[in-house]
Amino acid sequence: MNIDVSAACAARIEQHFGSILAELERVRAEVGALFAAGPVTSDALIAQVETGTLAFLQDPNLLGGGFVVAPDALADRRLYLAWWQGPGRDFLGEAEVPATGEAIDYTRQPWFRVPERTGELYVAGPYVDFICADEYVLTTTLPVYAGGRMVGVAGADSSVETLETMLLPGLREVGATLVNSHGRVVVSADPHLATGEALNDVPAEARAGRLLSVVRRSADGPGEQMTLAGWPS
Amino acid sequence: MANARATTSRARSAIFAPIGDEGRAVRVENRLAEAIRSGVLADGDRLPSELELAQMLGVATVTAREALVSLRAQGLVVTTRGRGGGSFVRAPDPGDVVKGRLATMSRVELRDRASLYQVVLTGCAELAAERAAPDEVEDLQDLLIPLDGDDVGRWRDAESELYLSVAALTQSARLTREVVRQEADFGTLLRVPLSESDFRHASAARHRALVAALEGGDVAAARGSVRDHVTHAVERLTEIHEVVRP
Repeated sequence: MNIDVSAACAARIEQHFGSILAELERVRAEVGALFAAGPVTSDALIAQVETGTLAFLQDPNLLGGGFVVAPDALADRRLYLAWWQGPGRDFLGEAEVPATGEAIDYTRQPWFRVPERTGELYVAGPYVDFICADEYVLTTTLPVYAGGRMVGVAGADSSVETLETMLLPGLREVGATLVNSHGRVVVSADPHLATGEALNDVPAEARAGRLLSVVRRSADGPGEQMTLAGWPS
Repeated sequence: MANARATTSRARSAIFAPIGDEGRAVRVENRLAEAIRSGVLADGDRLPSELELAQMLGVATVTAREALVSLRAQGLVVTTRGRGGGSFVRAPDPGDVVKGRLATMSRVELRDRASLYQVVLTGCAELAAERAAPDEVEDLQDLLIPLDGDDVGRWRDAESELYLSVAALTQSARLTREVVRQEADFGTLLRVPLSESDFRHASAARHRALVAALEGGDVAAARGSVRDHVTHAVERLTEIHEVVRP
């Protein structure tokens, strides 16, 4: 049993996603207070969140981040993404359908819909994001409330490629796989387990409702996958 | 010829265009290494001096120097001192180029490229089975190498030509151009496992099945044989990738 090594891998996950969570909680407080104080325009929202978000996005392991509004929460726009992404940390604003230029309704996306429904932190993906980054990503989102209603979600994107580089060495040491809350592979020590594949033999209770779990096939016999670590821990 | 030169010099000016603020030694190094591996910078070409390179790319001299040190360590650049000295491009062996490219790739990128390649090529096989005339398919027989052939380069070239021919049989110029691009981009990687004789034999069986399916106008079988082949090659490539990546 290599408890120390799996602990190191868990620590790396905690370091990355823990710092995301701390930032999302900061944005939640900041934006929640802004909306609680009265009607908010898109300009006022940007003025409030830009500096802090860009400071957070100094971390090169993040692909993008910001705050995405719930429909009609802003005084001047129905949908809006106060979001910065890519190597140049470019501002997004409105996501458009390629070719037609129509605004894309992002409210059906799991990163918006799930926290809206549960009221809790969520990690969506791995999925190919065609609204923001056009990359293969994991999106961590936290709902933000003001005056008893959800005004949007604070979020951050991590590219699967970055997570692979960051976590694969640790996962290899213990022969383990990182899965999401649905048991889908994020990164695995096994090269034949591709990102996005469903790992069927992870019992739901082994994941214990965690958003991310590090699992490994139990050493004795053809048993099910057992959980070595989880996030949030 | 004039045309080829124009492309090369455009490609060259892209290499020497200013690099952004976040660009550091690694990005300079990657850009030059990619240019050397792809042949845009040819064997024996003299590189600009550290100072000139730094100015062209808009980075500090120390950054340019750091990149050159690393390129030297990779054997892609040799530096000589004295009169007529300087840094010169040392083109790597073609086999090393492919493995070198593979080593710099993440697993996710490999799978991403493989997915695109597979969809394009299986689609071509379907259309080709529908559209190809019998005499056109007959010509493909020449691309099926006898099983005892052990010239790996010939196997690779024949497979690439087989897939390009299948693309041409779709009668779509755009699809064919896309396959030309895919062959240059991913085909070279996909053919790394052909160095193994078991893999060659299994490949040969699938290619024979493909040609037979095209002859018989069997859309599902044509698609299936390409799909099998790409899946199998990617599986083997993934294993090789685990070994070559740092």
